[in-house]
Amino acid sequence: MESGTVKTTAEKLAEKDGITFYRINSEKFKTNRVDIFFLDRLERQRASANAIIPSVLKRGCSKFETQRELEARLEELYGAVVDGGCSKKGETQIVSFHMSHIADSYTSSRDNLFDQCSELLMCILQNPVAEDNGFKVPVFRQERDNLVDYIRSRINDKMRFSFLRCIEEMCSGEAFAIPDEGYEEDALLLTPQKTFAIYREMVESYPCYVYMSGSIDDGSAQRFIEQFSQVARAGIRKVEFPDVAKTVKEVRRVDESMNVNQGKLCMGFRTNVSPSSPDYYPLVVYNGILGGDVHSKLFQNVREKASLAYYAQSVLEKYKGLMVIMSGIEQENRDKAEKIILRQFEDMREGNITREEIDATKKSLRTGIKTMQDSQGAIVDFFLSQHLSQDGEDFESMAEKLEAVTIDDVVRVAGKIQLDTIYFLKPDGTQPQEDPQAELLDEPMEGGF
Amino acid sequence: MDYKTINYDRLGETLYEYDHPTGLKAFLIRKPGYNKKTALFAADYGSIDNVFKKSDGQVMNVPDGIAHFLEHKLFEQEDGNMLDKFSKLGSSPNAFTSFNQTAYYFSCTDLFEENFRMLLDYVQNPWITDENVEKEKGIIGQEIRMYEDSPDWRIFFNLLDCLYVNHPVKLDIAGTLDSIARINKELLYECYNAFYTPGNMVVVVSGDVEPEPVFTIVDNMIKSREGGRPEKRYPDEPETLNMEYKEQKLRVSMPLFNMGIKDPVRLSGYELLKRRTALGIILASIMGRSSELFNRLYYDGLINDSFRFDVSADQSYGFVNWGGQSSDPEKVSREIRREIDATVERGIDPAVFDRIKRSHEGVFVRTFNSPDIIAREVMDAYFNRTSYFDLSRVFEELDIDYTNGVLRDLFVRTPALSVINPV
Repeated sequence: MESGTVKTTAEKLAEKDGITFYRINSEKFKTNRVDIFFLDRLERQRASANAIIPSVLKRGCSKFETQRELEARLEELYGAVVDGGCSKKGETQIVSFHMSHIADSYTSSRDNLFDQCSELLMCILQNPVAEDNGFKVPVFRQERDNLVDYIRSRINDKMRFSFLRCIEEMCSGEAFAIPDEGYEEDALLLTPQKTFAIYREMVESYPCYVYMSGSIDDGSAQRFIEQFSQVARAGIRKVEFPDVAKTVKEVRRVDESMNVNQGKLCMGFRTNVSPSSPDYYPLVVYNGILGGDVHSKLFQNVREKASLAYYAQSVLEKYKGLMVIMSGIEQENRDKAEKIILRQFEDMREGNITREEIDATKKSLRTGIKTMQDSQGAIVDFFLSQHLSQDGEDFESMAEKLEAVTIDDVVRVAGKIQLDTIYFLKPDGTQPQEDPQAELLDEPMEGGF
Repeated sequence: MDYKTINYDRLGETLYEYDHPTGLKAFLIRKPGYNKKTALFAADYGSIDNVFKKSDGQVMNVPDGIAHFLEHKLFEQEDGNMLDKFSKLGSSPNAFTSFNQTAYYFSCTDLFEENFRMLLDYVQNPWITDENVEKEKGIIGQEIRMYEDSPDWRIFFNLLDCLYVNHPVKLDIAGTLDSIARINKELLYECYNAFYTPGNMVVVVSGDVEPEPVFTIVDNMIKSREGGRPEKRYPDEPETLNMEYKEQKLRVSMPLFNMGIKDPVRLSGYELLKRRTALGIILASIMGRSSELFNRLYYDGLINDSFRFDVSADQSYGFVNWGGQSSDPEKVSREIRREIDATVERGIDPAVFDRIKRSHEGVFVRTFNSPDIIAREVMDAYFNRTSYFDLSRVFEELDIDYTNGVLRDLFVRTPALSVINPV
């Protein structure tokens, strides 16, 4: 009752002036999608500007001068989506834009939605509403305020906040400490002109990757690619990869008090494994055994055996060579939890790994690789990640690499991983006991790849 | 094997339906070309079902959070935890409890049949002990503590507390530390025996699998059990609000607000789908991203990108709500109320109605990209006595007169406002 798997590939259509175009064709999705990624080195002087650019561009273009007109147009196009954002992978900042629409066969008008939606996407990207070599002042100011609000609101989600603080402390002085959207004080110094100049740099000189996904014919793909020639490209920037090697001299401890109920423990590690190293796949298996899933040592020992936490997991930051272990616990259980976690870490080093643990992990990773191919967004993220890590593997060969990992490989990698920083978000005791509330879904956060 | 095949040509989807002699319904949505296969086994039983009449006539009143507690406990089996067993096959199991449903599911790429048998087996065979009940209290306690610190959840439940005087939808799904302390093995079995009967359950499979083997497994594995659907009892809920305003202080960067209106109209089946869809269109036309109101508030810096609206409509409760971050929740609240009044007065513009309806139909088509979303929606619609696929018909039949009728009926009511202020 199982049927054969169709190979998912990114077909390179063109490469010109630092822009590479790919097509990922598949008939199974209801939607067509375009993703555009501009890459930049993660640097403080441009980080906040890069973050604000997509928000300002979404506010209108020469054809649809206001956000309201743009949104109404997207509704007419059967709920099409045009969006943008900013994130980091390692020490690379990525300004991204995407468009998606339902395939023509599901519409009553049978319009050519791909052409119409991609025209809209290119309009906001290439023809923003500008004046005096800058973005329009009120629009720019609103988006700058929104960015500042967004940066400040990191504190609202305590789990994510403590994770980010742990990284910030651990990588203090390194580019990776810069948050995805930069800093509040830098955002406040931006002007419409300065930001517009960085926007021009982005379209003219940032390395760019473009993916077209769905069922897109040659004619549509070519017409889309041609639209990029409207902008002259020159002096394409180089984006380099960070050195992941780091010897930890002394483990740092950072405690911060806040009026919260639950304490958040985050332990940051240096893996000393780069994404292009042969040790990378053993590291992925290592992380899976330690804290990647419900069968993992952390879930089993911190949650199931000791009942100390609802979540206990580890995640990798692939490009910077980091691993972070996270758990939400009562303050009085802190030492106990830390001890259990470090025991699991030691067990990995000592090779106390069962055949069942490695098998379950490898199977789960294999399932993950296959199911990624059922989401257009995940497929694109996979191929972009492979470019960034300069790893030539496709879905199939990656699965084979993971399959070949042995317990010995995992133990070898375990020997390289070093604890760097222990961050604890500590309840300060002022939060009154409230009637508790609950989530619907019993799903621990998923481990990263 | 006797099952129904229904083709939805316009959506390019096929639905298979099977009726088990015990009264259990099974569905399959085929997804050719997908690697992921997912199966869900769910009971029409959620956090709001704390008072019910058993088949022997006895009325039970059980502690808050017990449906969710039971969901955690079903993973435990005499020979180990089900999470481990699924893991050994490389699949990922999970479960959720909502106000009105408890669902167990897994997704896998290989060995679908083994996984599927395991799912049907463990949900039908609980193994609850005094010891494992006590152990779970620590874990669920931390789950509860985690959500105490979540502003988004606090603001939502505070809003429900404003909207509802009596209805248990206002109670925490996981209960409280006090209520879970009162849960024991005997009570869990009482709830299990009352609600986990085939007539009160559904199986939904989605993925690239054939109907025949799926339904054969269902046929062989579903055991006949005493009791049909237990009688659920909900208190009378007045049309008035419990309170108009509730505020809490938490460590947040700026105020959050959430507003809502309680819908007193109780429907089920196709009419429920239709009303839900109309409510979604009404909200989008008043405060969606293409509306004058949204853009004015955004331009004035009173709301930002975090602004959202939502419709929740079920057989025993219904409400609409909206909110996000704002430097001035009171002012936003006034502006939104004024715009709602104006829209009620003039009705929705026909061109806007057509455009938003078309957009929402596109969003409906998109859901078929995800086997997980489809399985969940098919389950939800079945428990509400309709079919998710009937949304296609709703989009054909829904007109502006009906929608304006709903607008004038519901949006004349006073909304409640829930606010989280920074400490």
